[in-house]
Amino acid sequence: MAGLELLSDQGYRVDGRRARELRKIQARMGVFAQADGSAYIEQGNTKALAVVYGVPRGIGGVRSRALPDRALVNCQYSSATFSTGERKRRPHGDRKSCEMGLQLRQTFEAAILTQLHPRSQIDIYVQVLQADGGTYAACVNAATLAVLDAGIPMRDFVCACSAGFVEGTALADLSHVEEAAGGPQLALALLPASGQIALLEMDARLHEDHLEQVLEAAAQAARDVHTLLDHVVRQHVREASILLGD
Amino acid sequence: MAEAVQFAAESLAGGRARAARTVLDQVVLPGEELLLPEQEDVEGPGGAGERPLRLNAGTRSRLRVVCGPGLRRCGDRLLVTKCGRLRHKDPGSGSSGGVYWVDSQQKRYVPVKGDHVIGIVTAKSGDIFKVDVGGSEPASLSYLAFEGATKRNRPNVQVGDLIYGQFVVANKDMEPEMVCIDSCGRANGMGVIGHDGLLFKVTLGLIRKLLAPECEIIQEVGKLYPLEIVFGMNGRIWVKAKTIQQTLILANILEACEHMTADQRKQIFARLAEN
Repeated sequence: MAGLELLSDQGYRVDGRRARELRKIQARMGVFAQADGSAYIEQGNTKALAVVYGVPRGIGGVRSRALPDRALVNCQYSSATFSTGERKRRPHGDRKSCEMGLQLRQTFEAAILTQLHPRSQIDIYVQVLQADGGTYAACVNAATLAVLDAGIPMRDFVCACSAGFVEGTALADLSHVEEAAGGPQLALALLPASGQIALLEMDARLHEDHLEQVLEAAAQAARDVHTLLDHVVRQHVREASILLGD
Repeated sequence: MAEAVQFAAESLAGGRARAARTVLDQVVLPGEELLLPEQEDVEGPGGAGERPLRLNAGTRSRLRVVCGPGLRRCGDRLLVTKCGRLRHKDPGSGSSGGVYWVDSQQKRYVPVKGDHVIGIVTAKSGDIFKVDVGGSEPASLSYLAFEGATKRNRPNVQVGDLIYGQFVVANKDMEPEMVCIDSCGRANGMGVIGHDGLLFKVTLGLIRKLLAPECEIIQEVGKLYPLEIVFGMNGRIWVKAKTIQQTLILANILEACEHMTADQRKQIFARLAEN
């Protein structure tokens, strides 16, 4: 699209947000009764659903995959055929889904206390229902809530956000239009309480002088996401304990 | 580059460690750190520099605080690992500082030593039964672990039977083992559960609530129909009443208790008592 300016002179983006503003986030925990833990998140128009099974459960099938001192975290990413503008032919099993699955696994192995359940397996399935940019971040946020809902012990929340760089300004929480414009984009997953980075991913070209600014924008956005998720979890726990009569 | 990493490492939680006593019965989330009571005494207000002079200034009498489910020791603080409400139990006597734990909601059971659970016998191999208790591995139950069982006098247990027993070995590194006798050798209510009745699953939080000392739900249910009921800490309940319809009504009530408030429950009980 010729002439599409991602950042106007007054500092507004294509959808009217400011440079560091996040999209509207709504999340719910415990959406599936039959799964051990589940959560649903909407980040703007990006919708993701995460389900956690077997918390932990014995590894069926190939027992040689079992790790003797920790639990195996198995993540599968799938995006629905109707999730993007053009219909996708393969929902899972293609390169991008496998890579996303591995990235999610790396992220959650950093946060889940796997030493507490040796020789078992924790399954996390994430499904993207509508993809409008920031799918990795939405998946990580949804999976964090699902893991908390299932009661798996975690070191800390994992909050993720994407960031980009346009005309000297760092943008936080990119939408699909901004991602497709071809600028550099970075995905960051953070453990907020300690500030440790669980995963940092970028496969574009960015001058190193700008990296600090973009990283700081992503980190601040991830911390803002944490504030929201914190509120959602507290609300859920309060409702659950009220019904149990505390 | 170094500054970028440092920037990301700066976070709000530097000063967020709170005293455990101030957060009791409130919602805590993973990532929070809690201070133990003894540390507050050192940092607390003591009046300008007035502290009793001790002969051995190096050692202090330490309170032994037990760290329950949902908490891990991290240095000299407690790190919260599950989301839920923080609870504390005072010790009756002795110098220990009590138990802190996080009351969290969970559907899957993790075997704990000493818990009484309901299991389903899935296999019989030699002298050992394999019992499915809902954890990551089936528990093993020896045929001698029943009251009055000897090598000649084997208990009558078939595949598919329900067993009520307790764990003697349950840790993360070994296969769990359960028995149907207590330490004196008596059954004490454990063993094979009768053939009729209905087994259903609920969440672990509901079981703990139903097994609390003064639970109104159980008292009300008892007044409704005569029944036999067994609670397993692994989220399984076995119930048996005189007719199948009464059994199903009881099962539905117990499953629904989790989502009903006390008033709605009383209404339902009142309606059933009239019929």
